[in-house]
Amino acid sequence: MVMIRSIIRPEKTDAVLAALMEAGYPAVTKVSVVGRGKQRGIKIGEVTYDEIPKEMLITVVPLKDKDFVIKTVMSIARTGDKGSFGDGKIFVSPVEEVYTVSSGVKESSETEAKEPSK
Amino acid sequence: MKEVIAVIRMHKINDTKRALSAAGISSMNAKECLGRGKGLVDFKVLQGAELGYEEAISQLGQSQRLVPKRMLSFVVPDKLVSRVVSTIIEVNKTGKSGDGKIFVMPILESYKVRTGESGDAVLDEI
Repeated sequence: MVMIRSIIRPEKTDAVLAALMEAGYPAVTKVSVVGRGKQRGIKIGEVTYDEIPKEMLITVVPLKDKDFVIKTVMSIARTGDKGSFGDGKIFVSPVEEVYTVSSGVKESSETEAKEPSK
Repeated sequence: MKEVIAVIRMHKINDTKRALSAAGISSMNAKECLGRGKGLVDFKVLQGAELGYEEAISQLGQSQRLVPKRMLSFVVPDKLVSRVVSTIIEVNKTGKSGDGKIFVMPILESYKVRTGESGDAVLDEI
């Protein structure tokens, strides 16, 4: 299993969440964050804003679905034709064990195939 | 060392904290977050469905909604991972969907800012 943390524009979250739901990955955790990137924030006149609000979406998916989820998030969260600065970043990290609290069951990467609930 | 990230119900935080400190795991980070799982939950729709409105019943399973949750994160030595996981499951298990998920991830290094120490020495022992 891998954890995909996507940091995206707040105004894009609804679209990305809908797209993930559509694609069969309903499970998401959303956290509001502030951050800055390579451009060192936004400079408007004399003022530099280096705490730009973003939303972090956390999804944990089987390794084989990783590329699909990344592609989905990336295609929706991009603004303009070629994308622009501030569209965000996606980080992928390994998850060794996953437990579901309600059943106490440990899920392994093989058995937990995606289960679209529609 | 491992990082344990647990997403649990809002109102379970105090019980979880108490149980974990009784189990010897005192250091943790907690954050409020919004989340959704495999189930589709909308409280208004649920309420309406319980009261028997046709409209609400027809919407069941259609809508998506983010539910407020607590995200806890712990960095613990390998040997404490099972204790953290079992304590969280024990306290938070109600048997209904929405109890949350626990993820265990590897951590390469950790440092204590105050002293500059690194390795397992900076984490909860016991």
